[in-house]
Amino acid sequence: MSSNTSNTVNIAISGVGGQGVLTLAELLAKAALNEGLNVRVGEIHGMAQRGGHVVCTVRIGDDAKGPIIDAGAADLLVGFEPVETLREIHLIKKGGYVLMSSNVQYPVAVSMGKAEYPDHKEILASIKKFTDKIIEINAQEIAIEAGSPRALNMVMFGGIIGTDLVPISKDSAMQAIREAFPKKFEKTNTTAAEIGLERVRNSI
Amino acid sequence: MAKPLELLEDTPGKKVLLLANEAIARGVLEAGVRLVALYPGTPSSEIGNNLTFMAPKIPNFYFEFSTNEKVSLEVAGAAAVAGVRSMMVCKGPGLNVAADPFFSLAYVGVRAGMVIVVADDPSMWSSQNENDSRYYALMGNMPMMEPSDPIEAKSMLLEAYDFSEQFELPVLFRTTTRVNHTRAPIEFGPIPTLPDKVVFEKDPFRFVPIPAVARVQHPWLLDQIEKAREVSETSPLNFTEGEGDLGIITSGVSYNYVKESLLEMNLSAEILKLGITHPIPEKKIIEFMKHHKRVVIVEELEPFLETHTRRLAQLEKITVEILGKEQGLFSRCGEYSPRIVTEALCKVQDCNTPINWEDIDKRSDTVLDLPPRPPLLCAGCPHRASYYAIRAATRGKAIYPTDIGCYTLSIAPPLETADILFDMGSSITTACGLAEVTDQDVVASIGDGTFFASGLPGIVNAVYNQHRICLVILDNRTTAMTGHQPHPGTGITGMRKEVPPLDIEEVCKGLGVKYVKTINPFESMAGLVGEVREMVKWARENHSPAVLVSKEACALLTAADRRRAGETPPKYYVDEEECTACKRCLNRLSCPAMYMDPETEKAVIDKAQCNLCGTCVSVCPQGAIKREAE
Repeated sequence: MSSNTSNTVNIAISGVGGQGVLTLAELLAKAALNEGLNVRVGEIHGMAQRGGHVVCTVRIGDDAKGPIIDAGAADLLVGFEPVETLREIHLIKKGGYVLMSSNVQYPVAVSMGKAEYPDHKEILASIKKFTDKIIEINAQEIAIEAGSPRALNMVMFGGIIGTDLVPISKDSAMQAIREAFPKKFEKTNTTAAEIGLERVRNSI
Repeated sequence: MAKPLELLEDTPGKKVLLLANEAIARGVLEAGVRLVALYPGTPSSEIGNNLTFMAPKIPNFYFEFSTNEKVSLEVAGAAAVAGVRSMMVCKGPGLNVAADPFFSLAYVGVRAGMVIVVADDPSMWSSQNENDSRYYALMGNMPMMEPSDPIEAKSMLLEAYDFSEQFELPVLFRTTTRVNHTRAPIEFGPIPTLPDKVVFEKDPFRFVPIPAVARVQHPWLLDQIEKAREVSETSPLNFTEGEGDLGIITSGVSYNYVKESLLEMNLSAEILKLGITHPIPEKKIIEFMKHHKRVVIVEELEPFLETHTRRLAQLEKITVEILGKEQGLFSRCGEYSPRIVTEALCKVQDCNTPINWEDIDKRSDTVLDLPPRPPLLCAGCPHRASYYAIRAATRGKAIYPTDIGCYTLSIAPPLETADILFDMGSSITTACGLAEVTDQDVVASIGDGTFFASGLPGIVNAVYNQHRICLVILDNRTTAMTGHQPHPGTGITGMRKEVPPLDIEEVCKGLGVKYVKTINPFESMAGLVGEVREMVKWARENHSPAVLVSKEACALLTAADRRRAGETPPKYYVDEEECTACKRCLNRLSCPAMYMDPETEKAVIDKAQCNLCGTCVSVCPQGAIKREAE
């Protein structure tokens, strides 16, 4: 499927409100800007944010005009959680990559016994209907290892850089992290990103 | 992130990644705006969220979170009448609240530039309707501009102020969610210094629209609009680009989708992109139509440009095929995407789409059924305790009028305490209507911010007309849903000044409510349930409104305070030995910090997510939920 906008790198980030999806999208875009690239970020705020499913888009390249990534147009789908990854799988383009954190966050419907959380193998099987390029890490464990479960999004940030799919250097990414957070959280966040990057790089 | 201070930098030429709302906040500075008044509303909220922290650092600048949108338009309108540049900001439904002054303001006009930013919400990400505010410009005869991205959000704003001053009329600056909530690299421009106080020069026969004045002002307004149309005809904000047999007329965010679709389809077309959408450049559109056999109109929501275009084709007797919503090529619902535009253009061109969406949709249908994850009340949200008590005290049998805020999320199971909602403040007034025509108990709920914004006339109505309604005021000390803005009950102004807060209980008493009590929803669940019962009984017996103020700060604020202070208070946990897996806590509270262990079926508290409200402790019949020792 050739396309004229192939010089645009489309990254969709899917997760649960409160996991830091928006912050990751913004930092990724800032890192792209640090590289002197044109970039667009699409965000969702307000009511949709409260503990619900959240998806953000980052589009890097000269032809990126609007914020939306169509079905079949994402080079990389970043999922903070298995079900939320699968929820956006239609976005992935042919041959696109999925970077997924394997830690589960149960939706309330599951806790209440009104729905079932699908089996991990079944989730992977569904994802494979769209792509077999799946990179899986447990970002929650890595974040705790780095110093805080709240650094999950920075693990994923490192992971994105580790895929080598985005035109952003490790230095630009680390610079964006350092500029974004207060000094006392810097070590945790950069460590989380470093480990995320290494794990992904080693798993490809 | 220190964004508001970054927006103050006097560094022309610097490129910064900004949300369109942040770009508008920066534009306020670059346009030399002296006063901004607004009531927060998503998707416009970040404009105020940034301005409130910038304001104290800008000499001669004034910013306020007004009581509601009507108030803010009047405050800002008066400033522009007095002779300084001003701005009012609201979401789509907010302009409905401000509709009354909107029309008068167009009649009397302004002496200095004024912009009314209205953020529409196609697809209703955070709104109760997707009304198309462009019709306000048409109905009120106010000039209108529509930026298509964050870059234009700032550059066009500067043009809007000049336009406003040229024609002495406010400009409606209409955005949509996908403009407001998109980030792009924005180049900073220079910052002028602001004027000090001005002298209000009286001109009552212009600014007091008694019938005799209004009869003069209406033709003046129509005349101004025709003069503005001349500028609209030649303005670079209305431009054509590209060439091809096919013509496309578009405005706002859709312009991006058109550009991307043409590129993706490898299709040539001439685009007429309109930045000024009232008054539209009629001659330009007529010329454009004469050059094309087919013209596609791409605009979200209503056929606004389409209707104008058809009207002009008829007037000028131009033979041209105008394709848009009238033929069902585009929908009047929801926001667009490059895909929607591409599919429509492929239909027009009779070609295949560059991406095989049919195949993707088919494969998507074969994906597993996923558990839904709708937005819900946060872990530790005090509203959860209040609604649990309201439901328990009334056994789910009362009518529960609700209002606009996070608490509308109580519509979802298991709380299910949202039965009717029209707009801001309607909890109280719909309760009045329901209490009059039913025999059911009516327990309404409203947030603290909404109470001050639109609740007071409803209270007066209930008191004076003796409606037997119960009202729970969910006082979480902030305007939570839109991003924690202060309101008159918080003691902080838009200028970040500490002032005496208005006390909700005292306000209710002052308005004549005879039964008002304040409680903390986390103190005792049994006590809370008892208070709701007593209130319901009192309202029935006394045939008058009764109010219970449920006062506890938003969990997100409490959690942020704790993080800042470095506090790690003892955590809650489920004692596995004592838990009988009855699932009462899970089923009655739907707390996102609790889940069921798939093996033991017992409840587990996710300590990273738990915000320590302790509501689950009182819901557990076994006493199995405990708190770690200090």
